[in-house]
Amino acid sequence: MQQASPDTAAGRSRHPPDQLSAGAELLRLEGITKRFPGVLALDGVGFDLRRGEVHAVCGENGAGKSTLMKIISGQYQPDEGTIHYKGEARRFASSLDAERAGIAIIHQELNLVPHLSVAENIFLAREPKRGWFVDRAALRRQAQACLDRLGVDIRPDAPVKALSVAQCQMVEIAKALSLNAEVVIMDEPTSSLTESETALLFQVIGDLKAQGVGIVYISHRLDEMALIVDRVTVLRDGRFVDTRRFADTSVDAIVALMVGRSLDDKFPERTSVPTADVLLEARGLTRKGVFHDIGFELRRGEILGFAGLMGAGRTEVARAIFGADPLDAGQIRLGGRDIAVKSPRDAIGHGIAYLSEDRKGQGLAVKMSVMQNLTLANMAAVSNRFGFIDRAAEAQVAWRYINLLSIRTPSQHQVARLLSGGNQQKIVIAKWLFRQSRILFFDEPTRGIDVGAKFAIYQLLDRLAADGIGVVLISSELPEILGLTDRVAVFHEGRLTAVLNTRDTSQEEIMHFASGHDRPPAPGAATP
Amino acid sequence: MSNPTTSKAIAAPGDSAPGPATGPSIAPRSAAPRLPSGDASVGRVMNDRRKDLIQKFAALAGLVVLITVFASTSDAFLSVGNGMTIALQVTSIAYLGIAATCVIITGGIDLSVGSVLALSGVVAALAVKAGVPVPLGMGLGILVGAFCGVLNGLCVTRLKLPPFIATLGMMMVARGVALQITGARAVSGLGESFGELGNGALFRIVNIGEDGFPDVVFPGIPYPVVLMVVIAIAVAIMLSRTTLGRHIYAVGSNAEAARLSGVNVARVTLFTYVLSGTLAGLTGCVLMSRLVTAQPNEGVMYELDAIASAVIGGTSLIGGVGTISGTAIGAFVIGILRNGLNMNGVSSFTQQIIIGLVILLTVWIDQIRNRR
Repeated sequence: MQQASPDTAAGRSRHPPDQLSAGAELLRLEGITKRFPGVLALDGVGFDLRRGEVHAVCGENGAGKSTLMKIISGQYQPDEGTIHYKGEARRFASSLDAERAGIAIIHQELNLVPHLSVAENIFLAREPKRGWFVDRAALRRQAQACLDRLGVDIRPDAPVKALSVAQCQMVEIAKALSLNAEVVIMDEPTSSLTESETALLFQVIGDLKAQGVGIVYISHRLDEMALIVDRVTVLRDGRFVDTRRFADTSVDAIVALMVGRSLDDKFPERTSVPTADVLLEARGLTRKGVFHDIGFELRRGEILGFAGLMGAGRTEVARAIFGADPLDAGQIRLGGRDIAVKSPRDAIGHGIAYLSEDRKGQGLAVKMSVMQNLTLANMAAVSNRFGFIDRAAEAQVAWRYINLLSIRTPSQHQVARLLSGGNQQKIVIAKWLFRQSRILFFDEPTRGIDVGAKFAIYQLLDRLAADGIGVVLISSELPEILGLTDRVAVFHEGRLTAVLNTRDTSQEEIMHFASGHDRPPAPGAATP
Repeated sequence: MSNPTTSKAIAAPGDSAPGPATGPSIAPRSAAPRLPSGDASVGRVMNDRRKDLIQKFAALAGLVVLITVFASTSDAFLSVGNGMTIALQVTSIAYLGIAATCVIITGGIDLSVGSVLALSGVVAALAVKAGVPVPLGMGLGILVGAFCGVLNGLCVTRLKLPPFIATLGMMMVARGVALQITGARAVSGLGESFGELGNGALFRIVNIGEDGFPDVVFPGIPYPVVLMVVIAIAVAIMLSRTTLGRHIYAVGSNAEAARLSGVNVARVTLFTYVLSGTLAGLTGCVLMSRLVTAQPNEGVMYELDAIASAVIGGTSLIGGVGTISGTAIGAFVIGILRNGLNMNGVSSFTQQIIIGLVILLTVWIDQIRNRR
């Protein structure tokens, strides 16, 4: 059933002319509509994919990307619209059905069984059999063949739990290949990869393209896309906005399409001025095998960046100062006095807070309400000395912070799990504001958060600094470090290699120190 | 807090003009883009509320249906006397179920309560037999229960044993000790005062008729029932209105997030096991008092009734979810089923089958509720 064209803001044709991409058409969706109780998740969306192309799907959280992917991979059935796969009208009754047809999806949360080997995972539920028994030799051989095709060095016998996230991703891709997948959907594949791992992934994606595989690529990291993406489709509020050739557009233009307006600045202007007043001083912090002899100062009203590659020890240092992990040596001085931090309770008592990069795992009690999460770290302020909660006071606190941080929630009793990533992050921030924390460690605060919400978080960091709080920003995104911080501490393999003034430094210099040099780059010889 | 001004600015940011005047208002842009996710959650919330209501009413309605069915099949079912009998029978499931709910909300489980109640009961009886006054003896029994709870809690929080294993061990140890110290024989001849707690009643009205025979106007509310109501209300208030209760839910919802929010996870967890042991000790004293005999073999499999009542009442074994009102309904569902089936002459084997099916049915309904 052919629907009227659901087009579009830009008013251009939804079906891009053939010269946009060379390959033959693999997949075409038209007029896809999907309703959930009370929500129109997708409203007449069109999308197409060619052989040998990487087609990115962009949109803010809630724009309908994942719903669209679930329809392509057979997990959801569209209420309206058609799916043509290899020229035939198809409906996939289940993800198994789609998988058999050659459509594989690699989820953001990897779906591997940690206690089984790589080979067993690749052929899970499809093990080669000899009689009633698994043919282990064939299993290993076939798994090796898949891994070889990717050109990655992973042993088929290795247990998955011993692999890094990037290696797990490769195993997922190998699994997709073993299904002879012609369409591979990747949901935020680089969100937890280091730069070199990302480079390897992109190389593999390039190989897949050459083999005629069509790749649907979802990512918040728009700047990475230039390296691999051929076309990009933007969704907003469940509607199709536009499909463009990536080469003909820019990251800024895509962002403008995503949010429906242009973002003049990615970062707010800093309004706060750091003082000379040292709030926190760390000296000789050491945790054996993890980080060594870390020393820095954090000033009142300052945003101090922690830069470095993944695994350089930034998170670990923050967690140790917060008392979440033990320290082997070193002193922490607060306002000129030595303090002992043995547990998060101690640190919280001293006004130190740590906002984990793993919001759902470590930051939020996801089954509890927004209000209960907001007050969790400071129950004493909303209860009497016998521990009885003053419900009216608690509700008032909840509303104050919901309004203050513009947390989008239907009520303070909403379960935290049901909020978007940006709003969940705001709840965690509000929790620590209500605790009257004076030192906040933000660990990748904008990971997995859409562009509009990111800006609000940035503004918040600036506001906190302006209010005299010491802010430490741990971030893997250098533009974020350069755009927000006053000074930046650069880590490399558990050591602090430099503390730089953000105004006087550059992406290149930070990368130079992050890759292990402890002297400034020679003038003229720019490090890549 | 060495700088009160700073704290104040942040503590009351909702008040007028927080921060310096040049500061941008906190999130003027975030409101601009329409995020359908927000709208989606509004839809889901309505759904959630409806589902929650359905779940609460489904359990209650089930209870009403049971009562109606049994009332129509047996004349004696719907009488004050039988009501009190049911309430009395439910008490032990309820004490243990209330404790199990707290443990399960933290994500734990306590399999030892059936054995601990036997141990507590025989300790109380042996003490009384040795000449200790009844209230003191029973207090000692309850203390033994609490001590078993402490051991359970330390095994879970200090030794980091899985709760299932820690309490399985205690289940065997406590039963063994109870059998050992009694020589596997019942302790009897405890005297009338030992039976007071289990058999006495509040507001019992008895007229001595002209013929000299007593005429029971109102059988009274048995002490165990009074205790049940008091404990249920106290624990319900503890869970919903106090900091401790909030921390119990937080530990079960996400223990790491709770720890990083400054919750003393070990202490909260320990508390729930101590509560469980204490209530098991109380259950033991009440049960033995009702029989005026202490049986070291009493209470076998009671832990499963307790867990069943919590689960029927909507407590999630994954942790973070559960209420005392739900558990109370669950306990009565089990109690009324047993009583009603008994009155209809259904064999105890068939009763087991039916109760087993009811557990499967309610948990299945719960699963459907949580599926989205």
